[in-house]
Amino acid sequence: MELIILFGVFTLLLLIGTPIAFCLGVASFATILFMGIPPMVVFQRLNSGVAVFSLMAIPFFIYAGDLMVRGGIAARLVALAGAFVGHLRGGLGQVNISASLLFGGISGSAVADASAIGGLMVPQMKARGYGVDYAVNITVTSSVIALMLPPSHNMIIYSISGGGRISIADLFTAGIIPGMLLAIALMTVAYFVAKKRGYPTEKFPGLTAVLHLLVGAIPGLMLIAIIFGGVRSGVFTATESSCIAIVYALMITVFVYRSMGWRDFVAATLGAVRTTAMVLLVIGCAATFGWLLAYARVPAHLIAFMQTVSDNPIIVLLLINVLLLGLGAFMDMSPLIIITTPIFLPVAVAYGIDPVHFGVIMVLNLGIGLCTPPVGSVLFVGCAVAKIPIWTAVKSIWPFYGASIVVLLIVTYIPQTALWLPALFR
Amino acid sequence: MQSVLRPFSAVLSVLSRLALWIAGIGLAAMTVLVAWQVFGRYVLNSTPRYTEASAIMLMAWFIFLGAAVGVRERYHLGFDVVLYFVPRRVKQILRSISDVVVFLFGAGMAFYGTQLAMHSWSAPIPTLGLPGGTSFFPLIAGGTLICLFSIERLLQRIAGLNPDDDPLEEPASDEEVQAWN
Repeated sequence: MELIILFGVFTLLLLIGTPIAFCLGVASFATILFMGIPPMVVFQRLNSGVAVFSLMAIPFFIYAGDLMVRGGIAARLVALAGAFVGHLRGGLGQVNISASLLFGGISGSAVADASAIGGLMVPQMKARGYGVDYAVNITVTSSVIALMLPPSHNMIIYSISGGGRISIADLFTAGIIPGMLLAIALMTVAYFVAKKRGYPTEKFPGLTAVLHLLVGAIPGLMLIAIIFGGVRSGVFTATESSCIAIVYALMITVFVYRSMGWRDFVAATLGAVRTTAMVLLVIGCAATFGWLLAYARVPAHLIAFMQTVSDNPIIVLLLINVLLLGLGAFMDMSPLIIITTPIFLPVAVAYGIDPVHFGVIMVLNLGIGLCTPPVGSVLFVGCAVAKIPIWTAVKSIWPFYGASIVVLLIVTYIPQTALWLPALFR
Repeated sequence: MQSVLRPFSAVLSVLSRLALWIAGIGLAAMTVLVAWQVFGRYVLNSTPRYTEASAIMLMAWFIFLGAAVGVRERYHLGFDVVLYFVPRRVKQILRSISDVVVFLFGAGMAFYGTQLAMHSWSAPIPTLGLPGGTSFFPLIAGGTLICLFSIERLLQRIAGLNPDDDPLEEPASDEEVQAWN
């Protein structure tokens, strides 16, 4: 009965368009009332749920990423990528994907990636005679790389939603090879589509020019080393390294590039407030929700049910992947991680799947969901940047979806793709 | 009705800007505190004891005020697919139900937050020395603002305005708001 109230109220409110944080909060409140527990508990848990130091890394990393985009660090990384891979078949498409790989090392946001790199690359690609749909397809699907590489704040959300015991350093490290695999798969597809459509390549700018661009991009590249090295070596916690990223981005953009004005600084700060306050509210409201799920033994029941379906982890992972892809088509990534991790993670663990590996699967899977209609914020941003209808982009995006799904399957069924690198560092 | 609503909205607009700025200043202050903590540990060789607790307290202000502003500026994440397929009238009714739900939760935050603050007043927060009840102030402030902002939406709909399609403030761009993904 408790479960019927909990899920019933939640689903009903969700369907009528109530913001997710309040769906979770009110559903928990109703359930607690029914169970005769003092309702004060909901708000006490909400308050303590947001008073967690590691949570602070989420606004910090988003803030740092926004400062870097506004301050021109992203533009320099795109220029560097252009010099390195522009002369390959599918030239600017390859540049777009490589730029996501570099940008992914300083930002964990696929939407920021699509708007920053799409904003720079799509007009260039149009001007060089590339199809706008091709430009958008690449911009959108390659943005998922940013979710996989450190600093990925969605990995932090996963770690917190999983009870806070999963190492963020391990999650950050585990995403690197899958992110690279995705880049390679997308570059391969970009190559063949470009060949078929006869797109041009760029001239190699010469070693001096490459060197020049490399020097310009070094401050941005340094940041990758600071974030990853700091967290991995244990010199900084994830929260501290995200804070260093902000201070560093400010110093570079204000004193070295001299591109950051007061106006940009204020816009970045208020933007980070808008972006992260409600995601953090969802996490706070999910505190009671997650507790009720555990109290009603939902994961245990689900495990028992799954065992009647199959005792094979391959089948179970396939089921979870299909379910997450379906949910991801309709909902955003962070709330899905917050809501489904306490349900699916115990199931995965019961089938012997490593929590770090499962986190990588989940982020990649839901990342693909950001590129798929009807609700896909990255797809929307990519199409908005290029000013084309969603449908125009979706018609020719299938090879890129295909490549992403293949990488998802590889990452799902070869755990070493995720777990080999963190084991190396331990 | 609309003439009564205008001064009310004007006051709430100021409150909302104020809350957004306090949240923004809170975020900047959190950055300074954590940076100071790292600096203290590696350069001064003594980790300041108050930085973590005070940064966490600032984060609560940042989250609850920022989330309240989100109710007014409508940047909360939700599932809007069903609303595309229902007639305009039904959509307005469903939105109003949502606003009532949001109002109730905001009221709960303010009411139970106050009770929690009173219960825990005498137990001081270690390292900060403030009364324990102060840690619930952001919850109370955010809850109160959420109530006011959701009432405003309801009143506007009653007055025949359409707060769902015409945002109250200049909306932030989608890219800016959705960077959590």
